[in-house]
Amino acid sequence: MKTFEEKWTAWIDGKLSGAELAEFEASLPDKAAAEAEKRDAQKLGTFLKEHLPCAAMGNEDFFNHQLRERIAGDEPAIRDRETTGTGRAWWPIGRLVWVGSTALAIFSVCTFFVMREKAPTDQSQYLTQILNARVDPAVSPNATISMFETQEDKVTVLWVEGLQSLPSEYAHK
Amino acid sequence: MHTEATPAQADVSEADLIKQCQAGDTAAFDQLVTRYRTRIFGMIYNMVHSEQDAWDLAQDSFVKAWKSIGRFRGQSSFYTWIYRIVTNVTIDWLRKKQVKGSGTEFDDAVQLKEIDPASRTVPKADALPHERMQRKEIRARIDAAIQQLSPEHRAVILMKETEDMQYHEIAEALGCSIGTVMSRLFYARKKLQNLLRDLYENV
Repeated sequence: MKTFEEKWTAWIDGKLSGAELAEFEASLPDKAAAEAEKRDAQKLGTFLKEHLPCAAMGNEDFFNHQLRERIAGDEPAIRDRETTGTGRAWWPIGRLVWVGSTALAIFSVCTFFVMREKAPTDQSQYLTQILNARVDPAVSPNATISMFETQEDKVTVLWVEGLQSLPSEYAHK
Repeated sequence: MHTEATPAQADVSEADLIKQCQAGDTAAFDQLVTRYRTRIFGMIYNMVHSEQDAWDLAQDSFVKAWKSIGRFRGQSSFYTWIYRIVTNVTIDWLRKKQVKGSGTEFDDAVQLKEIDPASRTVPKADALPHERMQRKEIRARIDAAIQQLSPEHRAVILMKETEDMQYHEIAEALGCSIGTVMSRLFYARKKLQNLLRDLYENV
């Protein structure tokens, strides 16, 4: 589907024909104005052709000479690349693989060290074990006992909850 | 297509010259340069409006062409292939220079040697002084107007109006679609019509 700009340009340059031309001309709201615009654009084209001359290049032979010198100067570098095979072909495959694997290795090493340093600090230094047990259900049916132990200080705390009465043997001590 | 080939050079077909270039024959490339240098230079000059810059850009374009001629497969004509290089080099240069059509770019210190456009090869007798002056003024107005176009629009209008290239050739040279070429032509023409109407209506 051509845009209006494309159709207009084709119309100005006489590139529309047949049904496309008829359809485009029928779609113009003011054909007389469009025709005037077309003539105007064609005048512009003629005007540019007339007044943008073919610029003459001075010293044409020197142009070629200078170019030959530049090419001769570049030639060893181009030849080197071609003969050693280190030119265009080496870059996309060899170097990309090398750069990719190096980057992966560096990332793996960094990840290893970061993970290794974080691991020991995750666990609480106080609580290493919680032991829940029920005391004699006949005497104290809702009583529970919990034991907390710190590994470094070798201290154990016994937490008893829900006792209806303290057993006589504990009371004596 | 106008080229500078002498009858002897014309005997060697362009395809043969390209094959020789691809085999590393710089003399063959020299012949190709001779065929196209004036048109390339003229095209670049109309875009950058400086003889020295046009010279340098034409040199850069041909060096690039030499370096990449090994990849030329003949799917397009050599002419449109090299025009693609030329327009890329020139548009890149214009973009880097950030030319925004301020009118300060025109190198009026350099007197461009003009060949009468009605006669592509043989200049007519010298114009009268007032005619030369008038031509110079008109040229300055056109250059100032063209500078107000983006590099892509400049390339399209110059290829169409001064090089007589077809839409598909311009599209190949610029590496864009034919629709884009037509659309750019639409806007470039509209802008130049607005800027130059008083001139081409009265001259």
